[in-house]
Amino acid sequence: MLACGPVLDEAVVRDVLRTALRSGGRFAEIFAEERRSTSIRLDDRRIEELTEGTDRGAGIRVVAGDTSAYAYSNRLDPAALAEAAEAAAAAARGGSSPDVVALRRRAPAASAPTIEPVAEVPRGRKVAWLREAEEAARSHAREVRQVVVGYGDSVQRLLVASSEGTWAEEERHRVRLIAQVVASRDGVVQTGFEGPAALGGAEVLDAHPPAATGAEAARIAVTMLDGVPAPAGEMPVVVGPAGGGVLFHEACGHGLEADTVGKEASVYRGRLGERLASTLVTGVDDSTVPGAWGSFALDDEGTPAARTVLFEEGVLVGMLYDRFWAGKDGAALTANGRRQSYAHLPIPRMTNTSILPGASDPDDIMAGTDGGLYAKALGGGQVNPATGDFVFGVTEAYLIEGGRITTPVRGANLIGNGIDILAAVDAVADNFDSRPGTCGKDGQGVPVTTGSPTLRIARMTVGGTGG
Amino acid sequence: MGGRVAELGDLCRKALSGARDDEQVEAYALESVRTEVRARGGEVDALTSASSRGLGLRLIVGGRMGYAWAADPSPEEAAGLLEAARGAATHATPDEANVLPEAAAAEDVPGLFREALAGVEPDRKVALALDLERAAVSANADVRRVEEVMYGDAVSRVALASTAGLGSEYRRTDCWCVASAIAERDGDLQTGFSFRVAREPDELDQEAVGREAAERGARLLGAVKPATERLPVVLDPWAAAAFLGVLASGLSAEEVQKGRSLLAGLVGERVASEAVTLVDDGRLPEGPASSPFDDEGVPTSRTSLIDRGVLRGFLHNTVTAHRDGLGTGSTGNASRPSYRGVPGVSTTNLLVEGGPEPPEALMASAGRAVYVQEVKGVHSGANPVSGEFSVGAAGLRVEGGTLAEPLREMTIASTLPEVLQDVVAVGSDVRFLFGVATPTILVAEMTVAGR
Repeated sequence: MLACGPVLDEAVVRDVLRTALRSGGRFAEIFAEERRSTSIRLDDRRIEELTEGTDRGAGIRVVAGDTSAYAYSNRLDPAALAEAAEAAAAAARGGSSPDVVALRRRAPAASAPTIEPVAEVPRGRKVAWLREAEEAARSHAREVRQVVVGYGDSVQRLLVASSEGTWAEEERHRVRLIAQVVASRDGVVQTGFEGPAALGGAEVLDAHPPAATGAEAARIAVTMLDGVPAPAGEMPVVVGPAGGGVLFHEACGHGLEADTVGKEASVYRGRLGERLASTLVTGVDDSTVPGAWGSFALDDEGTPAARTVLFEEGVLVGMLYDRFWAGKDGAALTANGRRQSYAHLPIPRMTNTSILPGASDPDDIMAGTDGGLYAKALGGGQVNPATGDFVFGVTEAYLIEGGRITTPVRGANLIGNGIDILAAVDAVADNFDSRPGTCGKDGQGVPVTTGSPTLRIARMTVGGTGG
Repeated sequence: MGGRVAELGDLCRKALSGARDDEQVEAYALESVRTEVRARGGEVDALTSASSRGLGLRLIVGGRMGYAWAADPSPEEAAGLLEAARGAATHATPDEANVLPEAAAAEDVPGLFREALAGVEPDRKVALALDLERAAVSANADVRRVEEVMYGDAVSRVALASTAGLGSEYRRTDCWCVASAIAERDGDLQTGFSFRVAREPDELDQEAVGREAAERGARLLGAVKPATERLPVVLDPWAAAAFLGVLASGLSAEEVQKGRSLLAGLVGERVASEAVTLVDDGRLPEGPASSPFDDEGVPTSRTSLIDRGVLRGFLHNTVTAHRDGLGTGSTGNASRPSYRGVPGVSTTNLLVEGGPEPPEALMASAGRAVYVQEVKGVHSGANPVSGEFSVGAAGLRVEGGTLAEPLREMTIASTLPEVLQDVVAVGSDVRFLFGVATPTILVAEMTVAGR
């Protein structure tokens, strides 16, 4: 249900596409959007900032041979669009261009039914959400020293049209609330973070009450005050629900994005059909999960959302494609063509990436682990897709001693290699959880979720200061 | 940028015109034209050209601040921004430190804008990217392809106007090249990265960037995982710059005032070894982060931060200076990501003063150590509040004072305060990496974890 008409007029779009193909490109596309956003920041009991903004612009892509030319502007008037189309055409010269296929208008899509659009929520109610989160964090424990709460919402209306006849419109509503808490005791300072996010309107914060978010961030910070320095060296690592998803995303997912594979920079190149992971591992990327932070109705090239199996019982069976790389490899589109905004070329990106639940009881996995590390929640990570080497920060971790979770540890990092780690998974539980985040690649951030059950890696390197 | 409805300065002034007597309003506008060319296999992989501009409005009334922005607003929409900022301000908490800077004359940074870049033809930009790739794949027998090479440039203009009498504008040109080379031998695969920024293409030296990326990748081939132990660590300028990035947030008065800096309350104290001298200089002609005035119109300056190990002070914008109430004034470090946000505080060009000896002498004095050329996960693995960190690293072993076998899949861990105190010596090889200039740094001891 779009609030108003399309971002651009159909006749203007057709002219722009014709101009873009003037120098012999084989494919032309326009992506236009308008995005209204609000952000609010509460810091140390004060509403420091309330910002409202409107972003708009269009990007025009022309493909000639293997070259992609892209020109964007944040002016949406026909003259500016024509200028951008000419710039893109001049940069991508080719042989002879096809005609622009008649645009097939589809009914505008919405990625999830938004019950209470943020545009109808008064500023005062949004401010109250931040106050609730702060209050809950402060009342959680007397060790809580500082609380920062951030709120962001956006409504993005977009249009994608191409010379191959694509005409796709979508309206995406997003809401996110994050709480960061600093706790201290006897000179020890620790931080905690919690940040639910989803597609939708005000109802997102009914499902994830701000008070619960504040309390959870405080619980993590206070728990870590009792932490001892993390052990260092190789040991069994049990990863908590959702945490395994971060691992899967960083250690494997990036290497399965078709541009990484196509540029021969992936350890997974040419290995489809091989058993690379433990038979316990089945992993998927799924942009159809209703309301999930990484979901959409259409990807940023107009391809309808889809579910792609990447590993089936340890066998590599799928990769993630955008239009360019699917064409190059003769593969089917998987709806993974995403971009941060009109200012970016679409590239293959993950959406909601998960390891699926297995059969073990999570308590049995713990009981069967004599000693090691329980990485309950993982923070950000980084991977070198060419080698598969990765490193992750662990935001909440405990020692495992005699099959039991014991002392919290801090400053732990997990380091390893994607293929090795997936092969070393020796237990997968029947629970599941997922968490939202922002994934960065080539300077573009896009919303994603990572999910998994509790799982165990037989041996993994833990970096810490505890020796 | 022909056909624009209004000049940037006019757009700013018009946006202020509806301000009421009791309101302080500032308009910030940014306009840029950018090009990026990526090359692969001797061909252009992607070329992006962009033109963008936008306006951000900061409104303060009774100490309450509101902000509203829009991309390429029409004059009517710009007037609407004032109303939105006013509405936003009513929900903010009053803070008497919320003030706008008074107008002040700023001197130009010599050479910040170069006609030479503004006039570069697209074909020349393509050639620069192709040259860069060629340099990367012809420098070393084990490097035959790249993960990414890119040439990019931007011509930008910034304008500011305020009800406090400010009315300033400047133009700048920037260009950069980035190379990530892939080295391969006997099934082992490693990547090496290099990067340069300049004001015009003739000053970039793309050949050196390509060569360096190749060499940094090739020297990691055959890397092994080291045993876990504590030993001296030599941080090369790239690795040192990554750590300085974490320290930089602690040098912001905003973080100090909010109790989030590990350096809070330590002015006048020894926070590092005598080998460490650190300054912020927003006027350095060759500095990538130089500008005549900061993102709220205050002239930039040079600020001593750590002098031979002793903490001298912090970086301020107008609000943090006012909050400190010491009449210190802003150091010219107001910073915003674009017109989309309120100015915060950040470093400009952060410089670690070099020492007398070359990096080879540092390694010789260490004897047996780990040389770190790359750290990963600094943002997730380092806690800027407590200073604790554990990050992934790649590099080489130092045996008998010289570089030996390559190392991978290791982590290095310590705390920032300990590392600062444990700096044994800094090299003479100061280099700019993004906005940080640092030499090689020898640290007495850290935990290096591997097997």
